[in-house]
Amino acid sequence: MKKLFNTAETMVDDMLDGFVSAYPHVKRGVNDPRVIIRDSNAKDADEKVTLLIGNGSGHEPIAMGFVGQGVLDANVVGDVFAAPSADLILDGIAEVSGAAGSILLISQHSGDMINGRGAVMMAQDEGIDVLALPMYDDISAAPPERKKDRRGAPGTMFIYKILGAAAEEGRSQADLFSLGEAVRDRIVTLAAAVSPGVSPLTGLPMFSLPEDEIFLGMGVHGEPGVGRVKVGPVNELVELMIDKLLADRPITDGGCACVIINGMGGTTMMELLTIWSETKAKLSRHGISAIAPMIGSYVTTQEMGGFSISLMEPTDDMLACWCAHSDTPSFPKITHVEKDLTQ
Amino acid sequence: MSAEPFFTSLHQKFTAQMVHLNALDAAVGDGDHGSTMLRGLTKAVAADETKRSKAFMRASGGASGTLFGLILIAIEAHLDTGAPLDVGLSKACERICDLGEVKVGDKSMVDALAPAVAALQGGDLPAAITAAAVGRDSTKVLVARRGRSQYVEDGGRGHIDPGAVSVVIFLETLAEASPNAGGIA
Repeated sequence: MKKLFNTAETMVDDMLDGFVSAYPHVKRGVNDPRVIIRDSNAKDADEKVTLLIGNGSGHEPIAMGFVGQGVLDANVVGDVFAAPSADLILDGIAEVSGAAGSILLISQHSGDMINGRGAVMMAQDEGIDVLALPMYDDISAAPPERKKDRRGAPGTMFIYKILGAAAEEGRSQADLFSLGEAVRDRIVTLAAAVSPGVSPLTGLPMFSLPEDEIFLGMGVHGEPGVGRVKVGPVNELVELMIDKLLADRPITDGGCACVIINGMGGTTMMELLTIWSETKAKLSRHGISAIAPMIGSYVTTQEMGGFSISLMEPTDDMLACWCAHSDTPSFPKITHVEKDLTQ
Repeated sequence: MSAEPFFTSLHQKFTAQMVHLNALDAAVGDGDHGSTMLRGLTKAVAADETKRSKAFMRASGGASGTLFGLILIAIEAHLDTGAPLDVGLSKACERICDLGEVKVGDKSMVDALAPAVAALQGGDLPAAITAAAVGRDSTKVLVARRGRSQYVEDGGRGHIDPGAVSVVIFLETLAEASPNAGGIA
């Protein structure tokens, strides 16, 4: 597979050079070039709780694209598909933490959890006030009674944005942490993969799938999930996925759900908008209003084909934070308007 | 005191043992334990004073870089600043069990580290080395519960855990490079 890079050794830093020179919102950390921090709109870390996350690269725009006002204060960028090391995450924590304290968000995968929690322990040894918040939402990874064993999936973006907006309002570290847990309890995500991404390191597809099959519940690195289904009209696939999501965490008739339709990198906006439309229609048949959607390719695995559907039944506070203004390179404007589509 | 002689000597040990450790790891994991450790130690030797363990974490990478790095942080702090070794290693062991979700008997580095920590209370490094070696050898008959080795045939039974081997090398090297190490400061 043809890829447009210079060398495997420099591809991450080449990308970061482009990123920081393209956007006024961000710059590299003072102590470590693999730490991306807010620039033009940074707030005083003694006044505002800072939020950060570390992740392997290769999944852009997440998470560096969300550094800026109203979302994240820093992103610690690891090598391709590899969790950043604990000392690198510690550098990121030290870079942005202040008297108000910090929260390290961790999308739950084994390496990210060990290195992230290890970094938080080391930071606490150095007297830094930081807490680790594990994030998980992939219903295919474990049943509801073992929710804590689930992987982090694109529904974790609800947590980034809601905590980001609440932190911007000046809420305390303890309040933000419990808000984060409350949001996490309300998120369910299920993914469907149609074709593999190609690793920038090896040039090889990351898994294989027959031409007429879709893999339900695949993780962002191609981890196994529920199983295979045959390709058919997308409305049937959405119907099946929504049934599984609602069986996992029911939403009552008359309720509402914020929705993320995330593309994995190789699925078009044309397809994603169709999937959103089917999602809205299916939820409507259950008496649930689908609101304030985020639609696009935000958590990607190179050119992997496929998408995920995430639902979050919000409280009024969560909905307000989800729709709050933000200014980052990549987080979209989220709007909640009641539209009369019958006209 | 300085941690430099310890890291220099450790680097030499792992240079000599790399192929052997990779072979041990090939039986229970992906066969790169020796290379990964050596990659980290090469950077640790070149790093500034007090930054050697962090340099190790960065260069060796992955979760194992963090877990072994926590042991090295305790040793480095002891050698650099006289921080008590028993307290440092005890904390490192607790954290490794917590982060790696392992306990004694799961066929991991902890099977060597935990008995060493217990024997070290009171400052007896030679006793800790003996206890670690017994723990290391005990991993041969154990079945892995965590990490990659849980997926190999019979959980790797019949093979010694390379991480436990490395823990013993850490402690032996510490005793050689710094004969007073472990003593109550």
